Amino acid sequence: MTKNLTLKEEILPMNNNPEKDEIHVLGSTLLEIGALLMVSGASSGRIRNTINRISDSFGYSADMLISQRTLMLNIYNEDSGHFFNSLKRTSPHGVNFVMLSGISRMSWLIVEQKWNVKQINEELKRLRSLPHYPRMIILSVVGLAGAAFCRLAGGVAFDMVMVFIGTFCGLFVRQEAMKMKFNPYMCVYFAAFVSSLLAGIPAKLGSYDTHEHAFATSVLFLIPGVPLINSFSDMIDGNLQNGLIRGLNGFIISFTIALGLLTSMFIYQF
Amino acid sequence: MELLLLLEKGLWFGIAAVGFAVLFNVPVRTLAPVFIMGALGGLTKTIMLQLELNVIVSTLAGATIVGFLSIPFAHKKHAPPPIFAIPAVIPMVPGILAYRMMLGLINLAGEVNPETYQQILSETVNNGMKVMLILMSLAGGVGVPMLITRKESAKEIRFKKRSR
Repeated sequence: MTKNLTLKEEILPMNNNPEKDEIHVLGSTLLEIGALLMVSGASSGRIRNTINRISDSFGYSADMLISQRTLMLNIYNEDSGHFFNSLKRTSPHGVNFVMLSGISRMSWLIVEQKWNVKQINEELKRLRSLPHYPRMIILSVVGLAGAAFCRLAGGVAFDMVMVFIGTFCGLFVRQEAMKMKFNPYMCVYFAAFVSSLLAGIPAKLGSYDTHEHAFATSVLFLIPGVPLINSFSDMIDGNLQNGLIRGLNGFIISFTIALGLLTSMFIYQF
Repeated sequence: MELLLLLEKGLWFGIAAVGFAVLFNVPVRTLAPVFIMGALGGLTKTIMLQLELNVIVSTLAGATIVGFLSIPFAHKKHAPPPIFAIPAVIPMVPGILAYRMMLGLINLAGEVNPETYQQILSETVNNGMKVMLILMSLAGGVGVPMLITRKESAKEIRFKKRSR
């Protein structure tokens, strides 16, 4: 116990200074918020705005270096000259808009009601524990969305049913592959392969020309909409580097989807 | 009859948008606005296509409508505009065109048949350019309200009548 204390004092020689403490706690909380925003699918401009908004309300100026997998933050108080500087590696990306909306709402509450760091951390903990939609609901609604795509492209009822089943199973496979900690691109490949294999049945049974829609639309639930749209909004914002990286990520995902389709086509000999 | 078909299409656009909203785990209170925005954006695109306008221009118009609708909904439901706009524009992604482009690319990599090669090449490039420009207009259309109001946050944007 005593040893721990001395060790801590060696690392933070001035930890009897309350402001020094505050800047450390605030800095790591801000990095946490930035990392959460990044993995939940926020554009770089949004991350920077949110961090600046919160640090301004505490009286610090913040500068950030934002990249896809690492964030670097420097907060600085002009009056006292105290500063905090740190890096944080983000966890693997998974789009979660509840987190995005929760943090955006929180950032305004922080400004309006002058929250302290402890309140922020409690709110972050609450946001992290919020449940996702039940798995069956996700699978069926996304399946319906696939059927809707098929209908919009001009498919008939049989095509729609097969696309529903294909999307349902494809998303299931993707979720399972994610749980088994496969490479994220491999997960997309498996999903694209399974769903196009199932949705290719009408085209195999009937003629290819009339049932092509089912085969082509079955993989649309995998399209990297968030990376591609964020890529564009980053680019017109001037965050060219982030925009390029996000665009490349979206491109690789699209390429993986195409590979999955190709494998099914090879099996069916279309 | 024509109107009924159009409404049916709107319904499917809305359902596809809600599907993506659930996949992206949006708050439950934003699902209804996403449905409305997806349906209206998709309908705008469909109607413009029926008037024989260019597919890129139609998509840009649809995405712009989604972008503008996302601001009042964001105020009403207390969530940032991209949460509404991104799921709502995804049904407009040109899946079939992208698929044809991919098929074309594979054919181009196959054996060279001088009679059909030229045609496949031009079709593939045509589809590919359309896909690229449509994707860009989707992302651009969503950003239009932020760009023309020149505000950092949607919270500062107010569409109200100027007092006389």
